[in-house]
Amino acid sequence: MRDVAIIGVGMIPFGRRDEDTLMDMLAYASLKALDDAGLGDKSVDAVYVGNMGAGVLANQSAIASSLVDRLSLLPAAAETVENGPASGGSAVKNGLLAVASGYYDYVLVVGGEKMRDVTGWRATDFIATMTHPEAEYPYGITLPGMAGMFTRLYMEKYGVTREHLLAISIKNQEMGGLNPYAHVEMALDREGIYESPHAVVNNPVSADPLHLYDLCPVSDGAAALVLCPLDMAKKMTKPPIHIAGFGQATDTHALQERDDPTDLKAVSLASQQAYEMAKLKPSDIHVAELHDAFTILEIAESEHVGFFKKGEGGKAAVAGETRLGGKIPINLSGGLKARGHPVGATGVAQVVDIVFQLRHELPKDRQVKKAQNGLTVNFGGFGNNVLAFVLRRVEQ
Amino acid sequence: MKKEIAITAFKCKSCGKIHYPYHDRCLNCKHREFEELKPSGNAKLLTYTAIFNLPWGFDQRYLIIGVAEFENQIKAMGQIKVESVDQLKVGMKVKPSWEPVREQYGEDVYGLKFEPM
Repeated sequence: MRDVAIIGVGMIPFGRRDEDTLMDMLAYASLKALDDAGLGDKSVDAVYVGNMGAGVLANQSAIASSLVDRLSLLPAAAETVENGPASGGSAVKNGLLAVASGYYDYVLVVGGEKMRDVTGWRATDFIATMTHPEAEYPYGITLPGMAGMFTRLYMEKYGVTREHLLAISIKNQEMGGLNPYAHVEMALDREGIYESPHAVVNNPVSADPLHLYDLCPVSDGAAALVLCPLDMAKKMTKPPIHIAGFGQATDTHALQERDDPTDLKAVSLASQQAYEMAKLKPSDIHVAELHDAFTILEIAESEHVGFFKKGEGGKAAVAGETRLGGKIPINLSGGLKARGHPVGATGVAQVVDIVFQLRHELPKDRQVKKAQNGLTVNFGGFGNNVLAFVLRRVEQ
Repeated sequence: MKKEIAITAFKCKSCGKIHYPYHDRCLNCKHREFEELKPSGNAKLLTYTAIFNLPWGFDQRYLIIGVAEFENQIKAMGQIKVESVDQLKVGMKVKPSWEPVREQYGEDVYGLKFEPM
């Protein structure tokens, strides 16, 4: 197997992009990544597109074939990778394996989703189709609802409080305000969403015990990467970022079938595999992008990937240990909570954000000084399909 | 007329693990033969939520949903017949029933409902 590097990245601002089609967004992000890689007019050997719901949400299928045509990448191999909200991570994995195997040299990976063309209740229903069709979906359960039930269990077992959850939403929206690609750029006022009598209106219960600002927004967006063998990447002008490790694991479809539903086994396994492949430990990671579709997930994942002991993640967030300058800065992009969560784009966007960090390209207020190693976790379903990547800066 | 709870769980004939919903192979030992099992007795509420942003297909303001464990260890999701989550507590006993849980294409879809005892 060959070592694989990321030599180009591209992202477009996430949010409500009424003026763009899904294909526009995929094309814009791809062109930015191709230009960033310095490929000029050269082609790539293969294209992997991470997308969860174009057929339903954007009324278009076979989008990878359409994208290579639009980008004049013909006759490159092309396919769409669908794996729920982990579609982006799965596209990255497919690109990684294709280059590592020696079959392709240059691969474009792009993830994108157009979610705002349909009504909120249609989008909510579409996402809920990930739940079990017999044992869960008929009851009207939604992914926020799953997260609400998970939060209640986590609170009972580990003493997580609303204070802990607030620390995540406040940090991530503050960081989103500093990220030009973020959907939500509004910093939160603690009093307005928690302490004041108006908080019940400003921040109503959405999926008890989770409130509106515990949830990520519904976003349009796209992000892209160009991969090639690390040996070839060393000739590039920008520092190549080595995909030093990856892991993927699955768990039961119906949440109630897990022996301990608070144990996100797939997160633990995927991250352990990624650390092992990279020959690194959690303490070697300098910056992470975790899948905070709900604030509770940032806390739970920060424990399951080994940054904190079980039950300590919420307290660590309150103590500022996951902020810039803390023990392990998490979601300095604003995370899904503020950058947004166009489902098929997220796994790719997380990797792009870590590449920005490891290239030391960000402004001081978001850059982890001298960051060498980063981690991403892309969480599909309600933790039933999870991918983790460890990225490493390679000095030239 | 009160309807029978139309859920079938599956007990592995090799190791005894109880599954709901159906799997083609046991999640514990990969055995392929199961004994069909019906939920029995009342249930214990394991977790719950109230959802205020409902998916397409529900014409109401909110839904209260939870997971409960029957006396014979079958765990299942259901809607909960209360006005507010303030009436609920993890571990409380709930009584199951089989009632319409949503409407699809003009037809009632039946499922589990729980009511605090």
